[in-house]
Amino acid sequence: MKLEFKNVMPFPLKEYQHDNSSVWKSGFSLEFPKKVLLNASSGKGKSTFVSTVYGLRKDYTGTVLLDDKPIDTLSIHDWIELRRTKLSAIFQDLQLFPELSVWENLILKNQLTNHKNESEIESMLVMLGIGDKKEQKCGTLSLGQQQRVAIIRSLLQPFDLLLMDEPFSHLDEGNAKIALDLIAKETDLNGGGFVLTSLGSYHGFTYDHELKL
Amino acid sequence: MLKKILFRDSKNLQFIFATAGALIGLTALLLSLQLIMDVQSFHSNEEELFGPNSVVIQKKVTKLTSIGMNSTEFSPKDIQSLKDKEFITDVAPFKSADFKVGISEVEGDGLPHFYADMFFQAIPNRFMDINVDWDWNENSEFIPIVLPRDFIMIINYGFAQSQGMNQISEELLMAARLTIYVDGNGKKTQMIGRVVGFSHKISSILVPEAFLTHANGIYGNGQIKNPSRIFITTKDDSYGELDDLMDEMNLDINKSAIDVAKIKTIIAVVIGIFGIASVLIMLLSLLGFVQYSQLVLSKASYEIKTLLRLGYSIKSIVNTFIKQLSITFGIITVSAIAIMFFVKIVVVNTWLEDNGINIEGSSLITTIAVAILCFGLFIVSNYLNIKKTVNKLGDA
Repeated sequence: MKLEFKNVMPFPLKEYQHDNSSVWKSGFSLEFPKKVLLNASSGKGKSTFVSTVYGLRKDYTGTVLLDDKPIDTLSIHDWIELRRTKLSAIFQDLQLFPELSVWENLILKNQLTNHKNESEIESMLVMLGIGDKKEQKCGTLSLGQQQRVAIIRSLLQPFDLLLMDEPFSHLDEGNAKIALDLIAKETDLNGGGFVLTSLGSYHGFTYDHELKL
Repeated sequence: MLKKILFRDSKNLQFIFATAGALIGLTALLLSLQLIMDVQSFHSNEEELFGPNSVVIQKKVTKLTSIGMNSTEFSPKDIQSLKDKEFITDVAPFKSADFKVGISEVEGDGLPHFYADMFFQAIPNRFMDINVDWDWNENSEFIPIVLPRDFIMIINYGFAQSQGMNQISEELLMAARLTIYVDGNGKKTQMIGRVVGFSHKISSILVPEAFLTHANGIYGNGQIKNPSRIFITTKDDSYGELDDLMDEMNLDINKSAIDVAKIKTIIAVVIGIFGIASVLIMLLSLLGFVQYSQLVLSKASYEIKTLLRLGYSIKSIVNTFIKQLSITFGIITVSAIAIMFFVKIVVVNTWLEDNGINIEGSSLITTIAVAILCFGLFIVSNYLNIKKTVNKLGDA
């Protein structure tokens, strides 16, 4: 999958002084599979970047292209199809259903895609250290635990590009490393790539490419 | 699981109000519709004989008439003006026998001996909606006759007693033959007649028009030129105009003949007003339900947005809502039909029977069809509203 930014400038970031290396100024074109780090300090537009590429925000000038197609020409139905088959995301606010159990949150996604079987999902839970939380309501989990549920959920579908908005912000370095290894492994299994936004930490990982805001 | 997410804490007071409103509205609508149709189906026996909107009109006999100063005849001009009235759909002057008629029993047929002077009148066959052979030709065995029902009353409860005669049942009178004496234009003859029916509405002795035309041709004295009674058929619910016409032309009408139509109209108007109110209640409750689903949608807006982000289609979300609302409104529809049916059978029919009113009862199919139509209207309006809202949430 090809992702390209041409003169993209979100309205809220217009007044800002951006570096010449910023994607908001210089643009970029990336061909996935690639593992990309998007490093920036707070307020530079990391979440805006993820929301824009995922089709949730349209308040920008310029053109974003997915596979050479301007994304503002995509219909809601096109987006829904993309989100099942090619695009996955972990949002900063996680977007879980607090009344549903951990398991229900995961099954809700998997029954749509049929991407993993139950034992595969269970082993992911165990790997990330929340195997015992399966039946617990998501709303009662700590933020770090919820973050891991959201990470697993994002992997329960095929994808060419996984967008992650500070997915480890509530995890310690050890758990973040385990989670990132899992993500990298699943990304390779899918033959896809990811963009990981971070406040400066590399999480001990070597990336193919780095973008700046 | 979609249902669990989307209908989170939606069974609240709002839901109860919306459901109760829809149930009341739909029940009122169905009930008034059913009652209107029942009233429309109400007939007295007499009406079936001559049609519900047919009446006999004649001019009032006054003091001036008695001394020959004016006439009760309808001139051709009068008849034309009746035909010109917008609310009158059919005008049929009575044809009268232009000869003397006498009547007596046929010996051996079971009637006591009697003789009476009589007259014959005829109206066109299209008004004679009775299940007997009303056709007559020269080869017919007998002349069919329709008598006023009061006639047999007078004989049985007045005449027979004072003359020491046996009383005669309707069946006996209809089974026995009668001897008819005809005298006119210098000729006399006897014929056989038979009573084939009785009428409340027409106080006359009726024979087939064909017979009267034939007999007038042979025995007619040439005295009668214009008719004095006219049979008219009016449009539905036009008794008001008929009333005005009576004053205008100084007419005499058998009031009871139009009373049924009058009462039917009044009841239909009353129930019609109730029906209009029901339609309004129904629409109001429909709005209430649309508002309720709007509330559920806005409560679930986070869930809807998130489901769309996960890749759930708009269709699957809309269908989850519609499925749930269909079940709810399906139960409401079936309940409304059941309540309507219960009220009709147990309350209305019992009351009518207690009061000696016999209504055939119209079919339930129309009412049930209207209920299904309301169900469809409800589902479609909600479907459109939900689809629009979900689409909007997807674009946001």
